[in-house]
Amino acid sequence: MKKMLVIQVTALLLVSGSLVGMFAFTPVYNEVRSGIVLVLCLSCLKLEPKTIANFTFETVDNQSHPSFVLENLSHGPVFLHYSGDACAGCDVMYPVVKDLFSIDFGKQDMFHTLVNFENSTVAYIYVNIHHTTDELRNAQTIYDKDRIGGIPMFTVITLGYDNGDVKPKYTTVYGTLAVYGCTTDAERLTYLTQLMKESIQMYNENSAGYPHH
Amino acid sequence: MKLPIKRLISQIILFFSANLGYPGYPGLKTGFCYPFFYCQACPAATSACPLRSLEQSVDKGSFAWRLFLFPLLIIGFLGVLTGRAVCSWACPIGLLQRCTGRVARKFKKTGIARKLGKHKAEKYLRYTKYFLLIGLVFVTSYLIGFIFTDICPVGFLTGTIPVLLLNPGKFVPNYFFPVALVIFILFIVLIFLIERGWCRYFCPVGALLGPFNKISFLHISVETKECTHCNVCSYICPMGIDVPNMHRDPECILCGKCVTACPQNNITFKRR
Repeated sequence: MKKMLVIQVTALLLVSGSLVGMFAFTPVYNEVRSGIVLVLCLSCLKLEPKTIANFTFETVDNQSHPSFVLENLSHGPVFLHYSGDACAGCDVMYPVVKDLFSIDFGKQDMFHTLVNFENSTVAYIYVNIHHTTDELRNAQTIYDKDRIGGIPMFTVITLGYDNGDVKPKYTTVYGTLAVYGCTTDAERLTYLTQLMKESIQMYNENSAGYPHH
Repeated sequence: MKLPIKRLISQIILFFSANLGYPGYPGLKTGFCYPFFYCQACPAATSACPLRSLEQSVDKGSFAWRLFLFPLLIIGFLGVLTGRAVCSWACPIGLLQRCTGRVARKFKKTGIARKLGKHKAEKYLRYTKYFLLIGLVFVTSYLIGFIFTDICPVGFLTGTIPVLLLNPGKFVPNYFFPVALVIFILFIVLIFLIERGWCRYFCPVGALLGPFNKISFLHISVETKECTHCNVCSYICPMGIDVPNMHRDPECILCGKCVTACPQNNITFKRR
């Protein structure tokens, strides 16, 4: 009886002490909140959002564009790739995007580069939601135009003309692009290539009027 | 107040507590992991599924110790205090199985159910949940990146279905959907045919909590010397435990049905 009590008290102290220690000295609470609770893996949801890939000026809740996007827009369109760990949809899309821009990097890396895409410069920013900075993570909500809150998510930001001003214009697509009729990697690649071509065309038409240019 | 009523109130309160995350109502999204089985994909979920955190911690050969330890410590804390009582007093899937229990108890009286219940393989089938936990939550996640939550029936029930109902026409099924749907149908059939069938055989969170019954402060104690072996307790036990012969059984969910049913009052909750 006494032996059991010692085991129980030791186990309770060990577990509760470790738990308090984790809350106090590690960012695990924020990691779980921002990486699991607030951002859903669409594969776990077993669904893909039915959205239209139209370009728009309006960000979610009219939030302003983050500075890293505005800076990169002076080079060319920006491709924001949101991915995550333990996400089957992200695993499907990851090699497709690497092929799209002919680049190589690890899935858990933070990655940012300027790539040459069909003779134009594109700023490619890879954001693994579980290994990134708050600034990059928070940008997801700005461009989550259909308020899905899920990964994988791809945002293409380019320039558009709006009532006399040249402004950032963007579109966001989600999941493995099945809703756009893409079921193979080749089809996904073709779809994203078309999207990029459209964004480059818009960029070239409007870049002269962009203040940061 | 009678024990079943107390348990029902506890289950209902905790069900609502687990669902305070719906935007605006009041939109509480925390960084905790549930100590029971519930999916963060539920539009109203306040916390994360512990299995999701565990899977993510060992994704494809990686090891994120914080995501690994955090759910284990939350479950461990409650496990040391109350053992597997979480399954019967807090888990929303336990509440669901409580609702389907009436049908399952009727089925239990049929000849085929009695035969299957007495089959010697039944007790080995209970180890399935441990294999699911080790195999589909840890091993496949670590080796090939295939995770249990992609085909999880609880995720389907609490995440996929509510999302589809709240956003009609806004989503289409992905490639995991058909498999998950089949598993979900089997899950529903299971809980209607076998009382607490999910908890008994398949729940990986129950597998995490079960071993804590061996050392938990709260447990069920049987006065074996006074026992008349009427077996009322074993018959009423939703987990199909041989109650008079159990001692800190990992299968016991501390629902207290045996405590209420014992005509001699030989079964009690003990705090140490």
